[in-house]
Amino acid sequence: MAVTKTSSVPDMVVLSGELWQELLKLVTAQYKVIGPVRRGSEHVFAPVKDPRVLDMAYVTTILPPKKVFHQPFQVLFSFDAEEGTLAEAESGEEKVVWGIHPCDMHAIAILDKVYGVEYPDPYYLRNRENTIIVAKNCTEIGEDCFCLSMGTGPALRSGYDLLLTDLGGRYLVEVGTAKGRKLLSGLDVPPAPRVVLVEKEKRLSQARQRFRKRMVTQGIQELLEENFRHPIWEELMRECLACGSCTMVCPTCFCYNVVDKMDLDLKTGRRQREWDSCMLLEYAQVALGQNFRRDRDARIKQRIYHKLLYYEPQFGTLGCVGCGRCIGACVKRIDITDVVSRLAESVESER
Amino acid sequence: MINPFKPEMAVITEVVKETSDTTTYTFRFKESETRETWGFEPGQFNMITVFGIGEAPISISSGPGDTGFFQHTVRHVGNVTNALAKKRPGDVVGIRGAYGTGWPLRLLYGRNLLIVAGGIGLAPLRPVIREVMRQRDRFKEVEVLYGARTPGDMLFVREFPDWSKHVNLRLAVDMVPPGVKWDHKVGVVTTLFSEMFSQPSNTVVLTCGPEIMMKFVVRGLLHMGFSPDRIYVSMERRMHCGVGKCGRCQIGPRFTCKDGPVFAYEELAALPEEVLGGVGR
Repeated sequence: MAVTKTSSVPDMVVLSGELWQELLKLVTAQYKVIGPVRRGSEHVFAPVKDPRVLDMAYVTTILPPKKVFHQPFQVLFSFDAEEGTLAEAESGEEKVVWGIHPCDMHAIAILDKVYGVEYPDPYYLRNRENTIIVAKNCTEIGEDCFCLSMGTGPALRSGYDLLLTDLGGRYLVEVGTAKGRKLLSGLDVPPAPRVVLVEKEKRLSQARQRFRKRMVTQGIQELLEENFRHPIWEELMRECLACGSCTMVCPTCFCYNVVDKMDLDLKTGRRQREWDSCMLLEYAQVALGQNFRRDRDARIKQRIYHKLLYYEPQFGTLGCVGCGRCIGACVKRIDITDVVSRLAESVESER
Repeated sequence: MINPFKPEMAVITEVVKETSDTTTYTFRFKESETRETWGFEPGQFNMITVFGIGEAPISISSGPGDTGFFQHTVRHVGNVTNALAKKRPGDVVGIRGAYGTGWPLRLLYGRNLLIVAGGIGLAPLRPVIREVMRQRDRFKEVEVLYGARTPGDMLFVREFPDWSKHVNLRLAVDMVPPGVKWDHKVGVVTTLFSEMFSQPSNTVVLTCGPEIMMKFVVRGLLHMGFSPDRIYVSMERRMHCGVGKCGRCQIGPRFTCKDGPVFAYEELAALPEEVLGGVGR
């Protein structure tokens, strides 16, 4: 990767023990850091003041790091209901998101297209510009992970400022951008020999062999287009509770609702956007109660068809990155890879 | 960076009651710069803000040739539109727009035009009618079929005599309450098909109304031999941004707010998701 050098920091270093701790200390001292920390039996991306709470061995998080950029609640502006005057929300401080996995990085690349095109979204783009991304290749594979079959992991090739790979007790740190290089500037370390990439590839190759789940992507668009009225959707309708959990944890879901929140004086207030879900009944409802997706099967299909069929014409990519969160979050354990496999098998057996 | 979510302030300058539940508002932007630079195409919509209540997509009902002001004809059926009902001349609302695709005006030049509207669906077509009246020579035969529930639910009635000088206007109502005089058709808007002079040849159709109405309009016209690639429909969907971000208005891969609300009928017919009752599939 072509990188503009801003200092003598090398493009690639290996850090272990004290040097690794030193890096964490330097970064957490200089920046607001958001990284994976343990919460009960799961992990979340949370502010990290003390680097010791960072759990780099995390497999997945409840919510994707999307929440840093497309925030669950985002104030758009404040207003005075009588005067109509507006004050825009203030911009946030520069921060570092530490340890983003390749699937979530691919999701952010998709959101960049959603929010970057036609009418660029100033809130999302500001959060992106203010953030330094330290990504981490996956050497541990979770039971719901299927990024390998989506072409979005376990190794990341671009989009990061710094990229980490766990080489077992030591980390390979690769510089992607000048912003990333700046994070390393307080360390005095020699460049890593290129031979360390052999060790990196070996670990990633081992990781690729540990996937248990895969999405059948070949012919998936044709499969979905031709089976919009397949009985499988009615079966799913009986399983699915339409709770919306799958969409709340999805790293590529971008839909939102907008509400005006009034202050107690009923004079001033804020316009705010909030994550929304196509799985919920009110999502497509308009005035006079008409609802374009009243039936649950219509909403289930909307989610799956959007991810696997409609993102392509919209943004030139599949809308699923194989993070597996929707499978883990589903109280009925509905598995999108299983739905596609069952549909493909059923169509195949009818031939 | 331009913030597409930040409304411009606009003052209500006139309020005209159309029916028991529908009002036409005239607006003027507060900023003179906005007044001078702002424009729209017939068929486009604005997001109207009533601060503290919210924002709703409403089509523009004035003509693109009407300068210095613009109008919205609003049916009071939801939170924002009901809050708007309390507004009086001099009150301020927020406006963002104009958004979405307009009617294919260029395609209409030199061709026959058939407009089929139902209820509030006439509002986004009024800019086209006003444009026809302004530049009558650019269009050939123009026919307008308009249906409403009752005579009292018809919009823009005071303008009908003027419209009739330029276009062939045919009216239908679903029912006539006792004691109300009505000289036109009783029945759904498609019952006017049997008496209209519009022929499939060289005619472009624009339609807006409830989806169930548009379904029967499209079905009837296809049956009569109108070309599916010359039928345009304006769709209603829930919208919270108007600029293809909030996702709420999606129909298949299309965003109604930016790929629509005016769609070529054929574009919708090609979608896996059933639109307009799957007519013509």
